[in-house]
Amino acid sequence: MTSQPRRTVVWGHLVLLAVIVVTVVAYLLDARGVSTRTTNLLLVQPLSIIALILAAFVLPGVFVRADSDEARARDGETPVQLARCIALIAALGFLAFSLELVGFDIATFAFMVFATAVCGERRWPVNLVFSALFTVLLIYGYGMITPFPFPLTVL
Amino acid sequence: MIELDSVSAALSLLASDASAWLYVLPGLVIGLIFGAMPGISITMAMAFALPATLYMEFLPAIIFLTSIYTGAGFGGSVPAVLMNIPGTSSALATTFDGYPMARSGRHNEALGVALASSVLGCLGSYLVLLLIIGPVASQVLKLGPLEMFAVAIWGMLLLGSLAGTHLARGLLAGAFGVLLGTIGFNSAGFVRGTMGIPWLLDGVPQIPAMMGLLAASQLIGLVNTTYLISDESARKISFRKTLSGIRLTLRYPAILLRGSIIGVLIGAIPGVGSSISNLLSYSETRRNAPDPETFGQGNPKGVIAAEAANSSSEGGAMGTMLALGIPGGGATAILLAAFAMHNIVGGPSFIANNKDIVYALIFSNFAQAILLLFVGLGFVYVASYIVRVPLHFLIPSVLVVSNFGAYAIEGSAAGPITLWVFAILGWAMLRYGYPVAAAVVGLLLGGLLESNLLRTYQISGGDYLGYAAERPAALLILGLMLLSVGMQALAKRRRARSAASEAGGT
Repeated sequence: MTSQPRRTVVWGHLVLLAVIVVTVVAYLLDARGVSTRTTNLLLVQPLSIIALILAAFVLPGVFVRADSDEARARDGETPVQLARCIALIAALGFLAFSLELVGFDIATFAFMVFATAVCGERRWPVNLVFSALFTVLLIYGYGMITPFPFPLTVL
Repeated sequence: MIELDSVSAALSLLASDASAWLYVLPGLVIGLIFGAMPGISITMAMAFALPATLYMEFLPAIIFLTSIYTGAGFGGSVPAVLMNIPGTSSALATTFDGYPMARSGRHNEALGVALASSVLGCLGSYLVLLLIIGPVASQVLKLGPLEMFAVAIWGMLLLGSLAGTHLARGLLAGAFGVLLGTIGFNSAGFVRGTMGIPWLLDGVPQIPAMMGLLAASQLIGLVNTTYLISDESARKISFRKTLSGIRLTLRYPAILLRGSIIGVLIGAIPGVGSSISNLLSYSETRRNAPDPETFGQGNPKGVIAAEAANSSSEGGAMGTMLALGIPGGGATAILLAAFAMHNIVGGPSFIANNKDIVYALIFSNFAQAILLLFVGLGFVYVASYIVRVPLHFLIPSVLVVSNFGAYAIEGSAAGPITLWVFAILGWAMLRYGYPVAAAVVGLLLGGLLESNLLRTYQISGGDYLGYAAERPAALLILGLMLLSVGMQALAKRRRARSAASEAGGT
């Protein structure tokens, strides 16, 4: 008797697929709420349905065999490595939302210090000097190339 | 074949506008540096530089971006030869013989061969473009909204089905991108999917979204990578030996020609591009060679085949983008976004109305390729240092510059916020095997698809079949589309079965 290969759930993939499906359904409902006229739904409605059908085809790929390449790739990743990616994403979000609030100079410096450390720089003096120099050079250098008024607090 | 009036106008345009030339050298250098850094793709380099073109005139902006494209093509071969790491996916086949050449002390020769092949491949592809762009321009003008819709869908399907290993994921990525591309006002005046956010009325900010999907997402994925500094061995650069590599390339015109033809043809197909053409050209050269057993052991013919093909793909991809306004991948998607940033709509009418600009772009690319020969010769001296730039400094720096660019383009936090959202989406898609380029092209083409479908609906009065029956070109395109996607599905199924049977056999 042959035993069935064990299957594991790729949770991250499931979350991504759920995000796509929820976005598509929400968009379709929103579009239908605006108007059900053909000129509004001509592309959006059939394409949303196709996207949902495709998502149904993708769904079995979320439950992969434990001995598959995809499962092995996930197993090869440590929680610390995943945490570093998530920390960098969080830092990027902080940068995006804080640029106008605290000024480009402070937000950039804070992001640089944190992200450089997350990316693996353990020498704090090197990190702080590099981040400060890069921030100053970028603020003045980018200002020369792109004459756009970036909100600043210190520089 | 070549329209001499337009050629003359193009030459006078280039001669009268010094700024068009000012950006060639910086563009090549940026392309070379970014291309030489493993993990940094051509599209990432172009996405990074895109905001800088905001305040340039249209022609210099496009020339600057195509210079980066040209430079990165050769830049990717430097770490491929020196460290066995392709700087870009299009330099994969270069590692097969380039690195064995380097290991046997022939790295200078290998770099010379790669440089000469890149230059000649690029020149060849733009020569083809110069010859065919006139006739193509008159033909594409005959395309109506139904044909444009069918071509755009075909391109999307090819991109979704050819890129990546999973057909359904590729198509889902493309469909999701198209849906996101239709957010905001449609051409019939309806507003959908804005969630009450005012800046989404004009749609998702395309350039920050592209920067997030193509550049930031890949950088996040590289956070745990340290391979940039894994090879500490220093290699002495010799100008004389690099020149001998250039001379060696000229001894194999047939391989150069074959590689260039494969590159142009493959580059013109959406979704395929240089990452496939270099492998195909390599395998064809090996198959036809009298000494196939020496390939993979440092045969310069392998490097010539790979580099001629990957650099000539640029001309093919540019041809599709200019003629149809349909980007074949990330790099041409960025060029099309640059068109939009300057309020210029790419596609059939652009090429017909602006032949002088199109010819100017082609001539500028000739100049870029020739200049690359000299800049590349100097670059190989510093390249071995550039490939060792630590990623822990590079990743945060590029992310910050991308944010500045996104802010400058949108003029508000909408740019950085869009970049962030799409960086997360792109990172997750890359992680789980979805082709990000399909989503990017979908996002760009969403509006075009909807407006062409709407126009077809209005012209046909809802009778699609009757209207399509009067448009044989549209039927032909739809037939080819179904055929090519069906063949892709069959090929992928066959590959999966053979992989499963191999796994079962072991």
